[in-house]
Amino acid sequence: MKSSLRNMILSLTGLTVAIGAALAAVNEATADAIKETARRTRLEAMEAILPPFDNDIIATEVQSDGLPLYQATRGSEPVGIAIETYSDNGFSGRIAIITGFDNDGKLTGYRVLEHQETPGLGARMGEWFATAPHSVIGSSATLSVKNDGGDIDAITGATITSRAFLDAVNHARQAFQSYKK
Amino acid sequence: MKSLKVIIDGLFRRNPTFVLILGLCPTLGTTSSAITGMSMGLATMMVLICSNFTVSALKGIIPDKVRIPAFILLIASFVTIVQMVMQAWLPALNASLGIFIPLIVVNCILLGRAEAFASKNNPWLSVCDGIGIGLGFTLALTLIGCVREILGTGAVFGQQLYSSDYGALLFVLAPGAFIVLGLLIALFNRLKEGR
Repeated sequence: MKSSLRNMILSLTGLTVAIGAALAAVNEATADAIKETARRTRLEAMEAILPPFDNDIIATEVQSDGLPLYQATRGSEPVGIAIETYSDNGFSGRIAIITGFDNDGKLTGYRVLEHQETPGLGARMGEWFATAPHSVIGSSATLSVKNDGGDIDAITGATITSRAFLDAVNHARQAFQSYKK
Repeated sequence: MKSLKVIIDGLFRRNPTFVLILGLCPTLGTTSSAITGMSMGLATMMVLICSNFTVSALKGIIPDKVRIPAFILLIASFVTIVQMVMQAWLPALNASLGIFIPLIVVNCILLGRAEAFASKNNPWLSVCDGIGIGLGFTLALTLIGCVREILGTGAVFGQQLYSSDYGALLFVLAPGAFIVLGLLIALFNRLKEGR
């Protein structure tokens, strides 16, 4: 079609308005589902990493050291604490994880909530740090990778991701300790 | 049947990865395992079918001089829709593909097909071209992903074939992507010529 200033402006404006409306509609349709998915992911993660609990854990959210912290109880006895933590030192962008601690501060588990690490390398942190001999589950001290003098094997080919991951776990531990104090 | 021929062409004679050598950035980036490669291929195919259809349907009302911005606008909005839908209902897939979904916008296969095919053909054939090229892309990414995953970690689609201790890490890393892609292009063209 032959271009004139008039039809260029008209067609691009029309297209932008139509697309804007379509995107708004899709956003409207998916917003609730996205929120619900995020909530369910957290709840499922907490069920997997904490000892069995029976309270409405999402409602117990408090802030500790700037991190959201959730208290799990079973029959009003505290059984563990879940802490959402993150690190911005990943290989590409933020790594968000949720960690579980028992009453003594022993790490009972973790789940990766959000990351943009390289598939096949850094993205393996979900399994890597939960499998022996490089498991961090059950630890109750500050962690670091072997390259930095610690005793955790970094993910092969993804030392930066591993550092960021352990950094996030350590941050969660700090939040745990200042909550307990 | 012309539509069937267009689809088959997209798979083989005009395979985007092995013959047109288009869209190599996501090809290299997402093929470290078979499943991520395949998911990326399918997500791209979804966007390609939608964008080919709308470009073809709107070709009569888009002036020539602004066709590229218009195409990019259409492609970008379909990518955004795919991403929102994945976030809502396929969170696991969304987590594993991460940054590569928004990058579909700059995948030159999409703009290339809009320009070379959809703006010259009717909507039905353009959808067929989208299916064919999309399947060809998915096939190529899955194949590269399989080879890299088998050689690199000893598994395919997460099924362990042999101990990952014998896997060559090189194939999971970036250089392995180039090596496998090069060898597969050679093999594909050899088979294509040999007929």
